[in-house]
Amino acid sequence: MNVLIVEDDRALARELGLFLYDEHYHCDFARTGREASEKLFVNEYDFVLLDLGLPDQDGLELLAQARKERNKDASIIILSARGSVDDRINGLNLGADDYLPKPYSLLELGSRMQAVTRRKHGVVEDKLSFGGFVLNLSDRSLRHGDTPIVVTRKEFDLLHYLLLHRSKVLTRLQLSEHIWGSTMTDSSDHDSNYIDVHVKNVRKKLAQADPENEWIETVRGIGYRLRPDNAAPAPAPAPAA
Amino acid sequence: MKLQQKLVLLTTLSKGLMAAILLLALPWVVQTLVMRHTDSALRTELRQVQARIAQVGIGEFLPQGSGVRRTHYDLLQDEFIDLQATTSQPFRDTIGTFPRRQHGAAVDFRVLRHSGYYQGQLYTFEIGKSIASVEDVYNLLRTSAGYALAFTVLTTLLIELGVIGHLLRPVDHIVERLRAVRGPQAPDFPPLCTTTSDFQYLDASIQQMLLKIQRVFEQERQFIANASHELLTPISILQNRFENMLRAENLPEEAEAQLVTSQKTLQRMTATLRTLLLISRVENNQFPRNETVDVREVLTDAVEELEDRIGHKQISLRWNLAGQPTLAPASRTLIFTLIINLLSNAIKYNRAGGEIEISGQLEASEAYVLHIRNTGKAIAADNLPHLFERFRRFDPEAAEGEGLGLAVVRSIAQLHFVQIMVTSEEARGTTFSLRLPPVLPATM
Repeated sequence: MNVLIVEDDRALARELGLFLYDEHYHCDFARTGREASEKLFVNEYDFVLLDLGLPDQDGLELLAQARKERNKDASIIILSARGSVDDRINGLNLGADDYLPKPYSLLELGSRMQAVTRRKHGVVEDKLSFGGFVLNLSDRSLRHGDTPIVVTRKEFDLLHYLLLHRSKVLTRLQLSEHIWGSTMTDSSDHDSNYIDVHVKNVRKKLAQADPENEWIETVRGIGYRLRPDNAAPAPAPAPAA
Repeated sequence: MKLQQKLVLLTTLSKGLMAAILLLALPWVVQTLVMRHTDSALRTELRQVQARIAQVGIGEFLPQGSGVRRTHYDLLQDEFIDLQATTSQPFRDTIGTFPRRQHGAAVDFRVLRHSGYYQGQLYTFEIGKSIASVEDVYNLLRTSAGYALAFTVLTTLLIELGVIGHLLRPVDHIVERLRAVRGPQAPDFPPLCTTTSDFQYLDASIQQMLLKIQRVFEQERQFIANASHELLTPISILQNRFENMLRAENLPEEAEAQLVTSQKTLQRMTATLRTLLLISRVENNQFPRNETVDVREVLTDAVEELEDRIGHKQISLRWNLAGQPTLAPASRTLIFTLIINLLSNAIKYNRAGGEIEISGQLEASEAYVLHIRNTGKAIAADNLPHLFERFRRFDPEAAEGEGLGLAVVRSIAQLHFVQIMVTSEEARGTTFSLRLPPVLPATM
């Protein structure tokens, strides 16, 4: 998939490019509004990652322009340090598919891009499963076989995120960024230590239903991962629901 | 005492003083006037007598026979003319007041004494007028002057009261305007409607001062916004780089651990910056306040958001909310942030197994008062006034947070004209109370 990264900061664009390359996206870069316009005129992209604070142009203008021309089907995600409420609302009104305030976690960006793609292609799974567990996304419930397991909102989000990136190690920061990213509260509530509390609770609930397996693994000091179904040495792709 | 009262008091006193002086000086004034009048009358009479003598001769005035002295009284005996031949030296005219016996009583007479030659013979003239009537005139004058003065003082006082009130009205206007100023963003006032240059000057000075304060605040806000924004980009770079580095395979365990620690530090910095930005945006009025916020619903949402932490600390929650607390016009996002910060503090500073009580009721003043009480350690009374300052933290053991949570609460509350009060005592714990302003029927 082709991605146009519109970002005036070279170092930031580079990190973004590295990550997306790793995730098998093909990246193109534009550092000014003009450059971006030219590329949008010539090429077709699946994604435009748009920084609003460009040196020569307001990113929102570019957004409106991109929506009209060749790339009107591209998914546009705004990445902005401005983060004012108006920007967010204007951006979404002008047709952006999502909005992430800087600094964001790359994993979160990746997840949002996947979600946008799934939405675009009408692939909306409402059930995800691992082991004997089933996560129902439409009513946000968790079951083990026929037994419902009561989880809190945050616990559900945590499990869902781990499942989306199954077999990968997710750092506490990435998890907390996903779970609390949108709520503006004091720094203490973003504290990634709370993740441990949630993980502990989720583990307890999973163990009640399935005492044999330890599904959520602690990976050294880094974070957690959801174990693949058959504890094979090579990480297997998540089975389709 | 109000300036108006003082001015009225001053004019009243000065008028009273004037009236007193006038009344006290009245006898002297009246006497002097009467004397002058009498004296000139006496002189006129003297001239008439002299003219008469020149016409008819002096013999007419002197008694027949001895012809040395004679005194003429008029009918009522309050005037007399005394003519007397004399051998002594002539003297200049004198006027004086002398008592005279009349019918056994002493009566004061004003007497003009004159000497003059007539046919070689020196004569002295004495012409007198009783001044007993002066006393009556004086009494009459005093009474009428008293009434006149009282009338004048009262009417001028009433006029002055009105005029002073009118003149001082701009002061009330100025004060009213100053009281209307909420926060650094003062509304644009039209120039004050007054012809008194002092008030115009005062008004202009206040406007200038407000502008100056506004500029300083503006600069501070701009600085915070710029600084935060300029810092967010490098933080983004670092955060993304750390994330990329951690994705690398076969990273030494030690390096991994260090990266995670660095990430945590960076995260703290991000959180602080985000909060500072939030405060500056709130103070910069960047959040549209155009919603009617159901506070109960916000509280429920916030509790749900925090349910894991409440459960983890085994805190029991008590609801005691009466009625339908609403806030309008308001920003729901901000009110949610305010509530969640207060609740988060109530969890953070609570003891394990403690209690949080959410209560509230409508006050007689139509304001709704919301209380969030926790059973944590009491806050020292000395610290209470500083609770809402930025970067203030009083519990060194609480390792979390940067001390910005309550600063956020304060700025959001101020934006919404919500009053916050805190009480803290060992027995009951700490209570944060919010007084929500009554919802006006005609809001946006």
